[in-house]
Amino acid sequence: MKHSKYLCKAEDSFLVFKFSSEGSKGLVQKIVIYTETGSENVYNLGFGDYDSQTGSMSDRSVTNNGDSAKVLATVAATVYTFTEMNPAAWIMASGSTAARTRLYRMAITNNLSEISEHFAIFGYNCEGRWEYFVVGKAYEAFMITRKENDDTL
Amino acid sequence: MKTHTTSKGVTVIIDNSLKKFKGRNLFPEKLKRANEILAHAGVPDLKKLKNKC
Repeated sequence: MKHSKYLCKAEDSFLVFKFSSEGSKGLVQKIVIYTETGSENVYNLGFGDYDSQTGSMSDRSVTNNGDSAKVLATVAATVYTFTEMNPAAWIMASGSTAARTRLYRMAITNNLSEISEHFAIFGYNCEGRWEYFVVGKAYEAFMITRKENDDTL
Repeated sequence: MKTHTTSKGVTVIIDNSLKKFKGRNLFPEKLKRANEILAHAGVPDLKKLKNKC
């Protein structure tokens, strides 16, 4: 994504990233975490607001800092970093609400040509099947992997 | 300060205090749903999808 991004911190296996959103609501810490699923090499991308005082995490809070494009670009950048270190990985992502999933779909659509340079992108459709991402179609979840893993391309 | 720069020129600051989050299931509902989808549909079957196109 060619938008500006926040500077991230990460631990040295690049499974956990942290950055601060800055805007009208002040500084809000964001965490991106790649969690192993029950399938080998498939990770779930989780992302939310972190409250350092309580130690709690929420993927449902509405920060309203006016920087959603920059936040999403930063999260997208963690995908690049994580998959450089884990090139065989498949990453699954979805919103915590249908509205957020739609937001992620729009972000993918708006940056599709750039993303498609390096990644194969799939959507989980209403028939309960994976398909190559189609612009304008609603999906419950998304899966992304480096193009090198798609030997049909 | 240790940093890592990706091939796309994105710099990440290494902060191993973040290791405390590793292995913690911070988004249990999302992970549960992800595992349900994977149990039902697996990962994309690339050959099958390619034949469909």
